[in-house]
Amino acid sequence: MNDITFGRYIARETPIHHLDARNKLLMMILFFVSIFLQFNLWTTNLIIGGIILLFLFVFMLIAKVSLKDLFKSLKGMWFLVLFLLIIYIFLPNSTYTHVAFSIGSYNIYWDSFYQCGYILLRLVMMLCITMILTSTTKPMDLTRGLEWGMTPLKVVRFPAHEIAMTISIALRFIPTILEETKRIMKAQESRGVDFSHGSLKNKFRAIISLIIPLFVSAIERSEELANAMEARGYDPRSKRTHFQKLQFHFIDIIGLFIVLVIFGAVLTLFIIDHNFEVVDIINVIFGVEVGI
Amino acid sequence: MKTIIFKNVSYSYSKEGFAIKNLSLELEEGSYIALVGHNGSGKSTLAKLIIGLLPLQSGEIIVNGLKLEKANYSKIRSQVGIVFQNPDNQFIGSTVEDDIAFGLENRQVPQEDMRGIIDEFARKVGMIDYLKKEPTNLSGGQKQRVAIAGILALQPKVIIFDEATSMLDPRGRNEISKIIKEMRKNMPDLTIISITHDVEEAYQADKVVLLNKGELRAYDKPSVIFSNEELIKECNLMKPFLLNVRDECLKVGLDIGDASSIEEAVEKICQSK
Repeated sequence: MNDITFGRYIARETPIHHLDARNKLLMMILFFVSIFLQFNLWTTNLIIGGIILLFLFVFMLIAKVSLKDLFKSLKGMWFLVLFLLIIYIFLPNSTYTHVAFSIGSYNIYWDSFYQCGYILLRLVMMLCITMILTSTTKPMDLTRGLEWGMTPLKVVRFPAHEIAMTISIALRFIPTILEETKRIMKAQESRGVDFSHGSLKNKFRAIISLIIPLFVSAIERSEELANAMEARGYDPRSKRTHFQKLQFHFIDIIGLFIVLVIFGAVLTLFIIDHNFEVVDIINVIFGVEVGI
Repeated sequence: MKTIIFKNVSYSYSKEGFAIKNLSLELEEGSYIALVGHNGSGKSTLAKLIIGLLPLQSGEIIVNGLKLEKANYSKIRSQVGIVFQNPDNQFIGSTVEDDIAFGLENRQVPQEDMRGIIDEFARKVGMIDYLKKEPTNLSGGQKQRVAIAGILALQPKVIIFDEATSMLDPRGRNEISKIIKEMRKNMPDLTIISITHDVEEAYQADKVVLLNKGELRAYDKPSVIFSNEELIKECNLMKPFLLNVRDECLKVGLDIGDASSIEEAVEKICQSK
């Protein structure tokens, strides 16, 4: 709980920081679509996922987003992985064909491990993308980008500006609320609440003693914030000018081009994969029979 | 010129009792007014009423010749700024410059003018080197300075400090009081209203408004109010340090007169020996 830096904007001077927020949002959508295109064979899925992940790592290096932070947030996911694994192993599925080993008369399939790994891979990719986006884009810019993207919906009275503002304030307050959490934890610990030991029931009680004050303070905070915003003349219905200009630079074109190439490649492979007979890509490229 | 005029203003949060009870008051333009009173005396309620954050229930408030009503809210808010107590809860932008810009954006200041205004007022509060910094990397005092810059950038006629220093450490407190001093010197038309628990600060003001349980108890020069022992006892206030020194000096037969600062008092005491 000590240093959750995930998703926080970090001011740096990198090409990715200089990209237009709208462009980055578009890139994010393209990446998300590529991640969710599913191929026929699991080898293809893992390889393409791996390649996308490699690209994402490169982008993270360019954006100077620390990989350490990513792994830190992954550490909290072991429980989820275990949970997924159990579900996939013990939920019978007739499409599974590759037996790994048997316990008595019960077959454990390779497919369950693969499914679990694939979901994990996708999760990691999504984490990477959101991390790159939120740590290189100022919440205010992100708001503007989102608002811009949702403008067409204003025709049907969709509160685009309000939603964008809400998101940006939520992002702005993540570190503040985390600090508050730490403070409350310390205060409760000093009063004898034990957060790390004891039975599940006791732990649950301890968490309650953290959550309730946290909620109370968050609600008070929001009221004060609303007052401060109103006092400074904020009115969601009236027009506002903008200090930061969203500008499409040359670097945006380069960035978009790179992402479009990746997206295009994945999409082409996807279409080929689905329109023709099942091709074992590994076999085609490397001439190796993986045995599917 | 009167900046803010209250006429028989009352306000209550619930049916039991008033937060503000039948208050009539006229505040002079360009003065530095301290609003003091014990907890629950209605100080903050008054500030919120002036700017329309709480709806006026009865009576009348006139701000710079504008009657306080819904149609005038945005005009009044462009003339009155509030610095709130909690530095974190009024920092809206993700960086210092974004936060100063927030108010300007609301006022629809053209984009090309903003840079200059932001730099000018960031310099005035000594935050020019921190423009790109995020709130988590700033101290409480620095955040309050940004809040002041954000309000001054809108060129208000009145600035209200709603216990703006009560959550700061002594250093932050000094920084803010230094800025207030500079504002008094350089912006003679600006009315400064400081809601405070700090009697030392109130003692420096031009005038003091003393509230007790929602009622106006006194509106006068600080030297007059704080000399009235009965009154300050009734309102649960402390006596300023300087007055204590003066009284103790008088007991030993030493008159330091109307010294307005500790330094002055020290000098007078030294000279008399």
